[in-house]
Amino acid sequence: MKLEVLPLKLEERTTVVKEALDAGDRLGLITSIDGGQLLTLLLSPQMHTVTCFQTPIEDPVYHSITSLVPQAHWFERTTMDMFGLLPQGHPRLKRTHLHEPYAFEGAPLCNDVRDVDAHAYQFFDVEGEGIYEIPVGPIHAGIIEPGHFRFSCYGEIILNLEIRLGYIHRGVEKRLTEVPCHQARFVAEAAASDMPVANALAHVTAMESLLDFVLPGSCQFLRTAALEIERIAMHLSDLGGLAGDIGFLAISSSMARLRGLALRMGELLTGNRLMRGYICIGGVSMHSSSESRRELIKVAEQLKQQLEPVIDLYLANQVAIDRMEGIGKISCSLAREFGLVGVAARSSGISYDCRRYWSHALFPGEDFEISVEQTGDVFARAKVRIREIKSSLQLLMKLLQEPHAGPDWVPLPEELPRNSSAVGIVESHRGELIHLIITDHQGKIQRYCIKDPSVNNWTALAIAVRNNLVADFPLCNKSFSLSYSGHDL
Amino acid sequence: MLHLLSYLLSRGLATNKLIPEVLADGVTGLPKVTRNKCVEDCLACVHACPTDAITLKTVSPIVDRGACIGCNKCVALCPTGTLANDSATATYAYNREDLLVEAEQIKLGSGTRGGIFDGSMAVRVVSTGCSACDLEVAAANNPIFDMDRFGMQVVASPRFADALLITGPVPRAMHQPLLSCYEAMADPRIVVACGTCAVSGGVHRNGYAGANGVSPILPVDVFIPGCPPHPWQIILGLLAARRLTGRRRVTAGEGKANRSKALTGGEGI
Ligand code: SF4
Ligand code: SF4
Repeated sequence: MKLEVLPLKLEERTTVVKEALDAGDRLGLITSIDGGQLLTLLLSPQMHTVTCFQTPIEDPVYHSITSLVPQAHWFERTTMDMFGLLPQGHPRLKRTHLHEPYAFEGAPLCNDVRDVDAHAYQFFDVEGEGIYEIPVGPIHAGIIEPGHFRFSCYGEIILNLEIRLGYIHRGVEKRLTEVPCHQARFVAEAAASDMPVANALAHVTAMESLLDFVLPGSCQFLRTAALEIERIAMHLSDLGGLAGDIGFLAISSSMARLRGLALRMGELLTGNRLMRGYICIGGVSMHSSSESRRELIKVAEQLKQQLEPVIDLYLANQVAIDRMEGIGKISCSLAREFGLVGVAARSSGISYDCRRYWSHALFPGEDFEISVEQTGDVFARAKVRIREIKSSLQLLMKLLQEPHAGPDWVPLPEELPRNSSAVGIVESHRGELIHLIITDHQGKIQRYCIKDPSVNNWTALAIAVRNNLVADFPLCNKSFSLSYSGHDL
Repeated sequence: MLHLLSYLLSRGLATNKLIPEVLADGVTGLPKVTRNKCVEDCLACVHACPTDAITLKTVSPIVDRGACIGCNKCVALCPTGTLANDSATATYAYNREDLLVEAEQIKLGSGTRGGIFDGSMAVRVVSTGCSACDLEVAAANNPIFDMDRFGMQVVASPRFADALLITGPVPRAMHQPLLSCYEAMADPRIVVACGTCAVSGGVHRNGYAGANGVSPILPVDVFIPGCPPHPWQIILGLLAARRLTGRRRVTAGEGKANRSKALTGGEGI
């Protein structure tokens, strides 16, 4: 979607944002271009509109809006790290991305040298008799990305969890402004390559809107198929992980087998298990023969058949359900306040799915069922995932039966328009993913901002584990399925 | 419980018995260089490559598989068939230079695939990347690929690990944690760089975050290129690493030397 950047005065900013959110808008993201301004992206799902406000900032200090708009808290911290802009009055100001080894270099995305060193990292202290801390990470016991968790506990109970990320900050956003724009998609995919399709789709959606180009349905169909296959595969992997964390190994390995089928579908469509490098500007990069298309339908049917008994066995096990029910609860009001997205939001009663509102691939034109649960616990998140696998599979099979004649790829101009901005919003398996692109007066990408769904949802994990047992932490964690690399960039 | 058992029995064995030599039909691997000569002044692949992995040597290109993310663009653009898709499952190399492939030259570590009594290897996985590699390492553990049957286990502590498998480009904030993990391992210890990022930094190379792969920080014994590598490629790379465990007997002095090399080795720590 192409954006018009509207000016907004610093004094009015808090009121405008607060009023918009009260009226049902979402805070898309807060960032800056080069440290001389604040950008605030407001999404209005009901109106299908996105508004981007630009607030010039001379002094690198501005008034924080976090105490009125809690979901701004993480964005303000990140903007400090990356641009050296200090949000005054932020209740817990500390870095999100840059660790001590970066100490002397100021803010990487800002042109001037700004010193934010005063805000070195400090953990939140919980004090009192019998209270102790458990530090975990950055390197974890299993095969997962790095991050640090600091639990303050009383006995077996978690009183507070502080999450420190940024260990795999690779400079993705900066790199995206350096590479030639026809190669940018590979970097965009590497933002979080367990969802390469969603990232590539958000990237091309933004790029194609910049170029004012609408693709033929045949290209969009292939992209939709890839997106849904990715959702199925990742939801299966998350469900398997959940089963593994409660020691239900029969189910976790059965899920791994099912995921194998989902990956096979990806392979048949794109030549790659994870479908990397498939979606490109102007369409898709690989032609799949009608033979492999037929095979794909077969595998999808197999998956549908084999899924049922595994789900039945999973949900028939009372011990498994007891481990998940009532654990890691997030209330609807908290979910709204912190702007949660994806499965986490839908499990807490918020029926927000980007596929209904924002244009990407064939959406919002395609019909599908949104699954919503009210209880907000681990079990709710598992149930939402199960239903989403089924509805995605149904959508995929419906699409594959339809004829979609037309090209896979159409050539587009390589030159981007000057001084423009566009945004791509995609419902990844984790939730709302935003890519925002701004070009300068030469038509070069000046700022590329990625908002991974995990940026919203990491806070949810910290809240959900409060007053739960330490032993239930892995379960809560898995149920949110958060990305470290998507956050750290 | 009985339902569960009968279901599991009814599903039979998922595991692929043999490690295939090549990936399934239609699956993209890494590029290889054939003997076909390039068209003069073509350079299509050199310009197309997103990671600058291709250089041109007089009449044919040299592909650095350690920098390649397997996007297949070069193969698709090459007018002469000089570059072709290589779907081999054995892609690992013991030396970084061996990942530079020229016409029909792919220098892989030699050796047998190993028999059932070849011993085991405990692997500690440290992820420093984008998590696609992690997914594939985890998949190598699943019932379909099942690396456990070769005696290779993923363990939860460096203390009892024989090999350290690293994914991702090791950005700056992970330099120290990675070193500490290596330090905690007993000699002899083997370092495996898994994935193009770990081998060279991949698309993140030479950025401000110092994400240039494992080599600037630790001495690497086995390189597994690919973005991400296929689970078979990972398993074969680990089998190659296991062959080193038998051969490597560390003398008292060497262990110490390794350690100090590691501690002073990395730049910008
Ligand atoms: S396949 Fe590898 S060498 Fe070829 S263009 Fe892609 S990254 Fe470069
Ligand atoms: S090599 Fe590729 S898949 Fe592996 S960490 Fe790097 S970008 Fe990710």
